[in-house]
Order: sequence, then structure tokens, then C-alpha cells
Amino acid sequence: MRFVDEYRDAALGQALAGEILATVDPGRHYKLMEVCGGHTHSIYKYGIDDLLPDNVELIHGPGCPVCVIPMGRVDDGIAIAHQPGVIFTCFGDMLRVPGSQGTLLEAKAAGADVRMVYSPLDALRIAKQNPEREVVFFAIGFETTAPSTALTLKRAKAEGVANFSCVCNHVTIVPPLRALLESPDLRLDGFIGPGHVCTVVGARPLQFIPADYQRPVVVSGFEPLDILQSIQMILRQLADGRCELENQYKRVVPHEGNLRALEVLAEVFELRPHFEWRGLGFISQSALRLSDAYVDLDAEVRFSTPGVRVADPKACQCGEVLKGVIKPWECKVFGTACTPEHAIGTCMVSPEGACAAYYNYGRFAREREVV
Amino acid sequence: MTAPPAIACDHQQGCITCGDEAAPMRVVLVDDARALALCEDRGGARSSVEIGLVTPVSPGDQVLVHAGTALQMLAGEGR
Repeated sequence: MRFVDEYRDAALGQALAGEILATVDPGRHYKLMEVCGGHTHSIYKYGIDDLLPDNVELIHGPGCPVCVIPMGRVDDGIAIAHQPGVIFTCFGDMLRVPGSQGTLLEAKAAGADVRMVYSPLDALRIAKQNPEREVVFFAIGFETTAPSTALTLKRAKAEGVANFSCVCNHVTIVPPLRALLESPDLRLDGFIGPGHVCTVVGARPLQFIPADYQRPVVVSGFEPLDILQSIQMILRQLADGRCELENQYKRVVPHEGNLRALEVLAEVFELRPHFEWRGLGFISQSALRLSDAYVDLDAEVRFSTPGVRVADPKACQCGEVLKGVIKPWECKVFGTACTPEHAIGTCMVSPEGACAAYYNYGRFAREREVV
Repeated sequence: MTAPPAIACDHQQGCITCGDEAAPMRVVLVDDARALALCEDRGGARSSVEIGLVTPVSPGDQVLVHAGTALQMLAGEGR
């Protein structure tokens, strides 16, 4: 298929790896953060870190929407799911995210009608098929996913689907990146920018990274050659003493984003004053809620929820993993108490999470090194 | 027989719907009145996709799809 196969060419990948090797200064250690969980997965899946010189280290960022959901929000979702007559819908990943009293999957086992959907549109379809039930969609995701939710809410409003509502957990990418860059225990040389978030918001919002924090950022695609080329572009900037916003993913990402999507987002959502991120704490203006025009479709208004703040589990070091301070395998419970089957932290739950990605692919490489 | 969902939440592949991932799909049929299109993924699986953010689209076009919504036009057939 076009736009896929040509970006997986092994010979070109080797050539790029050679260019990277020629660009790096052997006496310097480079730490580059891939912001997005999708990149983390591609990196492990295609063994991209094995192609890099030892002094180029990739740090996994906060860009997995499931991993940053705090326990209290999961508890609120479960409380709604248990209310009589409710059909609770969400993406598959959310089902296994632990709240303080268990997961949505466990709520389903206990009798709640919890259903996995592949898109918000599917949830709306369920609402139309079950007019006597209340159908709630638990929305998560960055700016990539928010337009889907927004379009579905617009459709629900236009078609007058009164039994549909949404718990909005949509988050925005820039505030947590700023919070990370302000964090004193962080040392990063450059950023691989989140390609699909930028499909919606454009490359422009990332301009603050070079402008305010003097770090190069390259918006990257998700195929192995995309990521290798982006790493090469960051290293080239560092070698030349430049610090800029570059766009490797021009075939998809316009500098200004998708203007129609931004209009829809502005109509349906507004910024929350603050939102809690797992491991990162409260970050101001970092999440979305439904705007006044859509308040009738807001499940947080329609249903009463506990709304309690729950502290992250003590043993879990997701916060440090998300900030790139420690690697997944350096967490006290990685691979022992915390596995994809019985996750303690969210980074292990979502396949986009750094810990799950590492558990699935990277640990074998480490075992080889030990032998 | 109904086709399997085009966007699968597969643990080994990463989760397309939940994370910042999107898949190229080919437009098969367009329903402009409802702003929906039937699209086909790399494996041939088909699903309904919101096209309101990328219209106009025509059969044969390739679009980038995330959580059932086309976010960007990739290219037309032969373009």
C-alpha cells in the first residue's frame, strides 16, 4: 500500500543508520525524547534503537493518553457504568486501566454494561439502537482523537440523540511538554514531535520548544524510516549548532494544521482550568471539557460522580518513566509485580505505554545483553 | 458476513484508536449527505469513516484515519 511500504525499506533504513553514525559526536551523549506513545511502539517494534549508536538514547515521553489518566477519573467512569440503565462505552485500552476500586473490565464482570468501541461514532450508533438506555462515551486522547469526539457530539446534537452523553478526558499536548521542560531533573537534547497530533493542530504550536527552551524539535511520521530520518534531522541540527522546528512529516502535517478540525474543536470544547495527569500532577489548561453549547451532552453534568482525587500507587514509578527520569526496567515493580496482565501503573496497561512497549519488545534485547 | 473492524485494538500492534496513531485508508464509497465514507484499510477490512474534516473526497483517494475520522487527505489515486 502506498504511504506504508516505501517507508519500511530495510536498505534505506541501514543507509540512514549510517548517516546518523556519521553525524554524532562520539564524545557526546544524546538524549532525545519521543513525545508520542505511537513512536515508542514503532521504535520497539522495528528495533530502531538497535540501529542507533550507543550514545544516542531515546526517552519515552508523556504522549500516551491512557497512561496519563489518573485513578480518580477511572473511578468516576466506573461509578457511571454502575448506574441503572447505563451502557458505558470506551476504547479497548481503557477497560484494563486500574482505578482505586478495580478496572472497567472488572465492573463489566460485576454486571455493568461496559462495551468496547472503535470510534465515538460507534457509541452514538449504540445510543440510537437503544433509545430506552443512557449511553455514555468515555472520551480519551490528545488533539488527534478530540476531533472524532467533537464530530460525534455535533452529530448527536444535530440528530437530537437525547440518551447520548460523553465523559470528556481529552488532553492537550503543549502544557505537559512545557511542564516537562520546566522540570529541573530533566536533561534532553531534542524532541521527536507527535506527528498525528500535529496533523490536527499543525507544527506551529511546537515552535515554543526551540524558541523558549532552545531544543530542536522535528515533527515525525510513524514508519521506521520516518523516525530514523527525524532522529538524523535532530542530530544534524545539534551538529550544526542550530535549534529549530522542522517537519519531517510534511506529507501529512501542514504547518497550520487542519483548520476545519480546529474550528470544530473550538465549537464543542473549552479548556479546563486544570486537569490531573498521572505522575505529573495538576497542569493548568491541559485538558478539554464540553463548551456551554454542549453541556446537555456532558455526562459529568448528567450523572453524579464521586470526583475524588486518588493518589497514585506508591510502588509505581510511572511519573518518573513519563518524565524520562528512569527507564521502564529501572522501575521497582517492572516485570515482576507490574506486567501487562496485572498492571499497577498505566504505562504498563496501554500498549502505547512505555512500559508495555518495553515489556513486549525491548526486554528480550536486554536479556541477550545479560547473557 | 460483516467485515472485521478496520481499526483493531491489538496489543501487539499498538492501539490505533487510543494513541496518537492513524492509518492510511482508501475511500471506496462516499455518502456526502451524511459526511461519511466507506473506507478500506491495508488488509482490506472496511469501515465507515467521518469525512467532514477532509471533504471533498472521491473513491480511490487515500485518507489518514484515526478513531473513525479522516484527519487528512494523503493523495488522490495517481496524484
